[in-house]
Amino acid sequence: MPLTAPQPTARTPRRTPKSPQDFAAGLFLLALAAIGFFGSLGLDFGRLSSIGPGFMPRTVALLVAAFGLLLLVQSFLWQGSRLERWSLRGPVFVLGAALLFAWTIRPLGLLVAGPLAVLVAAAADPRSRPLEVLIFAVVLTAASIALFSVLLGLPIPVWPPALDRWL
Amino acid sequence: MADLLDNLLLGFAVALSLKNLALCFLGVLIGSLIGVLPGVGPVATIAMLLPLTFGIDPVGALIMLSGIYYGAQYGGSTTAILVNIPGEATAVVTTLDGHQMAKQGRAGIALGIAAIGSFIAGTFSTLLIAALGEPLSSVALLFGFADYFSLMVLGLMFAVVLARGSLPKAIAMILLGVLMSTVGTDLETAQDRLTFGVPEFADGFEFAVVAMGVFGFAEVLKNLEAPEAREVVKARIGRLLPGPSELRQSAGPIARGTLVGSVLGVLPGNGAVLGPFASYMLEKRLAADPSRFGAGAIEGVAGPESANNAGAQTSFIPLLTLGIPPNAVMALMIGAMMIHSIIPGPQIITKQPELFWGMVAAMWIGNLMLLIINLPLVGLWVRLLKVPYRLMFPAIVLFCCIGIYSLNNSAFDVEMVAAFGLFGYVLLKLGFEPAPLLLGLVLGRLMEEKLRQALLISRGDFMTFLDRPISATLLAATALVIVLAALPAVRRGREDAFQG
Repeated sequence: MPLTAPQPTARTPRRTPKSPQDFAAGLFLLALAAIGFFGSLGLDFGRLSSIGPGFMPRTVALLVAAFGLLLLVQSFLWQGSRLERWSLRGPVFVLGAALLFAWTIRPLGLLVAGPLAVLVAAAADPRSRPLEVLIFAVVLTAASIALFSVLLGLPIPVWPPALDRWL
Repeated sequence: MADLLDNLLLGFAVALSLKNLALCFLGVLIGSLIGVLPGVGPVATIAMLLPLTFGIDPVGALIMLSGIYYGAQYGGSTTAILVNIPGEATAVVTTLDGHQMAKQGRAGIALGIAAIGSFIAGTFSTLLIAALGEPLSSVALLFGFADYFSLMVLGLMFAVVLARGSLPKAIAMILLGVLMSTVGTDLETAQDRLTFGVPEFADGFEFAVVAMGVFGFAEVLKNLEAPEAREVVKARIGRLLPGPSELRQSAGPIARGTLVGSVLGVLPGNGAVLGPFASYMLEKRLAADPSRFGAGAIEGVAGPESANNAGAQTSFIPLLTLGIPPNAVMALMIGAMMIHSIIPGPQIITKQPELFWGMVAAMWIGNLMLLIINLPLVGLWVRLLKVPYRLMFPAIVLFCCIGIYSLNNSAFDVEMVAAFGLFGYVLLKLGFEPAPLLLGLVLGRLMEEKLRQALLISRGDFMTFLDRPISATLLAATALVIVLAALPAVRRGREDAFQG
């Protein structure tokens, strides 16, 4: 991870965190700890001699929260990394490809879900070339059907199961 | 000693069957391939390939999966030498001198000495596993609930110290992993915990799914943002076999690297990653002329590569003898064992000797295969390294999806992978390391179980963790690790080591 140069202290007002990355990290931990703590409030805490189901989640959530607070405090005391730039294109297309695969694999099979995932994922990279990706998607899908379905016999749907009734 | 021989013979009888030889070969070949390709790690690959092992018997499955692991550790050095990018994280050190050697037209010798060193290290550590397996499992049988708990605390603490970046963040990741492990049905009361009404959460988060998300997908997202300049070395590869003088120069480093790597590999909490760094620093300190390091010193390749391979092998020891995984790959191995209803732990070696000794023997055979197949394949690897990332990552995405779907024939799992991919991306952006999180996740349930049992027996008295000698020793070691990690000198060393 590239370390950003320390920012000049004189220009930053007193109340903003000196390490924005740690500040955000602290908030992130606090949020997750809150989910863990309040989500397990209904569970029995038990006694030390017989720990209940609520013991671990709540204790650990409090510890996570403690470290979240520590990071928050730290972020005001010490100079640290700035927040990196978040890109939208990569996550949207790559994770979108996985989601589309999840939604299409059952109803439509690998013949549709495969190329779809490859095409959408490839859109995450601006250097992708349309024709190249198209050919690649077809080849990859054929190869995975041959490998996973034919050779290894995994029960992954290849064509839309609805077609079975017609064939 | 005669016992050991008998056992090894049994192991070789298992490992030398045609089917197991083929699986071992397949494993090291896939391992080398993904080791060579930067951006595809063993964690994602093994998670992806778990469904393939459904149809194979457990011995064959584990032989193949472990082949992928040490094959990847080995293949990572090829990329480090030829391209100056570590194919695997542990090959970072090899880029320092290995790539310099390649620029001087000595790439072949660097690859050759890495292969020879790895093979020697692999042979030694295989023997070490064989020799330590039985005594260690009998020690493990003495372990009570409290001792297991303390051992896991020690392992997690090691994982914290060995993670890059800030200590509080690494500890927070462990805790978050443990918190995530509580999701799902409570084993004792059968109550739903933190499932928020989602029925699929009742079984908890599947480790392979989380690993694939935070390692596989998040890694792709990271790579997309930092377009790599992949410059395969232009100089001639040159001859592969080192000459007598080079062998003499490397003999010491290989021996020391093997020892350092073997010892660190046994440590819980993924000590194996430290081996190459430790060996490099040791060789530099011992050298008559330290300035040669970084300018193509063969010792800087021979030592760390041996340490790397030795550590990869000996990290099987905690898994096979105690049933405690020291890193994410070993956690997936546990997953593979569970699929075949094998419970990892000290009883494996006595109840399933053919599994234990078969794996041990196959490791040595796999190392021999690596030595034989990789040198001729260098040309192929060079060509593979020229495949641009823009073609590689859609393939990774597709194979990840197919692999995870096939794990439980569940489209929900694929959605979860996407969610954990996003989670992993956020972690990266906030400067968190995912490795301790995974270890916390995998050890969390076991820790809770042991804590409950230990406190039940002691009637709620926490002193049980200090009264029992094994547990007290382990906790004292944990305290020592924390103190050491906080010392300024060690902290600086840790930052230096992880600079790559």
